[in-house]
Amino acid sequence: MTVIINGTDSSATTPALTGGTAGTSTGPYFPATNQWAVSTNGTQAMLVDASQNVTLSGTLYANLPNTFGFKNRFINGAMVIDQKNAGAAITQTTSRLSVVDRWQIYGSIASKFTAQQNAGAVTPPAGFNNYLGITSSSAYSIAATDIFYLTQWIEGFNFADMSWGTANAQTVTLSFWVRSSLTGTFGGSCVNSAENRSYPFTYSIAVANTWEKKSITIAGDTSGTWIGATNGVGLKLFFGLGVGTTYSGTAGAWAGALYLSATGATSVVGTNAATFYITGVQLEKGSMATLFDYRSYGTELGLCLRYYQTLPGIVVNPAASWLSITYVTPMRANPTVSGGGGGFTIDSASVYVGNFYQTTRAAQTITLSAEF
Amino acid sequence: MYKLIKNSNNEVSCVCRLADMACIPFDPANTDYQVYLAWLAKGNTPLPADTQP
Repeated sequence: MTVIINGTDSSATTPALTGGTAGTSTGPYFPATNQWAVSTNGTQAMLVDASQNVTLSGTLYANLPNTFGFKNRFINGAMVIDQKNAGAAITQTTSRLSVVDRWQIYGSIASKFTAQQNAGAVTPPAGFNNYLGITSSSAYSIAATDIFYLTQWIEGFNFADMSWGTANAQTVTLSFWVRSSLTGTFGGSCVNSAENRSYPFTYSIAVANTWEKKSITIAGDTSGTWIGATNGVGLKLFFGLGVGTTYSGTAGAWAGALYLSATGATSVVGTNAATFYITGVQLEKGSMATLFDYRSYGTELGLCLRYYQTLPGIVVNPAASWLSITYVTPMRANPTVSGGGGGFTIDSASVYVGNFYQTTRAAQTITLSAEF
Repeated sequence: MYKLIKNSNNEVSCVCRLADMACIPFDPANTDYQVYLAWLAKGNTPLPADTQP
């Protein structure tokens, strides 16, 4: 059947075809000026009004895999929680150090940069109150095997549904706000737990000292071994701050090697006093970056407590006795327990409970760490 | 340097990292324990545990 519609060219405000009702038919019609509708079975199903609002008569079923639930797989992506350092600056060492909760820094040579929540006290991008600031401590020329990075490792339980390492690997999109005193091409990488699968990526910063939003879509890895639903590392995400050629790879492609950044990326530690600020970091399922999933403070803190928490003011009464304490939140793994003064002994610690012995009655503060 | 720690049953239940007196559980998922295992693999030996009260 051939359908011929006779009319003239029209504009958005003056459609060539007007009029009509839902009637008993199924199809599009124009119920009023500047309105467009679709009916099914004689009833209006959808109306687009003159203000571009869309009204649906029935139930919306949409393929929006990343809109509900735990959309952002990063924890503390807005850099709000800082239990360990409480806003104080830390100097990078050759061990991975926690900065704000869940975010860690590392460098193959010590003391090349500092990291601090809200370093430099600039205004965060609209909608955010915090950011993580990196400041270079010198003008260091990186060697081939040098590595300087900011990272968050996502737990397997929180990433397993991406099905990486299978034919059903899901596409993900990384988005974040970034601001630097430097301009140019910067790099990072997605890496598996075994560190033998990498996806280097690049992003450009066009204007110095200006917040810019970036998004990078990554086709899921159908090869390699990726940790499934366990408390191991599901994904390691690195932002390169200066990565030598040995650990830099071609951007935009999966590789069977350990790459922590993209070839040719800017080295932040290469310029004395260079700044690199970041916030609103989100990793979500799908090929589109959506609005940042700004979770409640209590929710975000609760998520962080699985990896690090402090138990203040523990007192065993009477003295010279045992005490078992159930944590605020069960931890990712049996935690490393630190703290406690004289006469205080840490006996053991499971995922749920810590057992302590105290000979002198005094308040003790201990910390529990189950970080990666 | 590390030192073994005994629990109330006089069983070795964790290892103390003497640098900061942190108590590290014998949990393969604990990254501090992974570092301890690497330290052992280099031929090092922890200090023996004291008897718990």
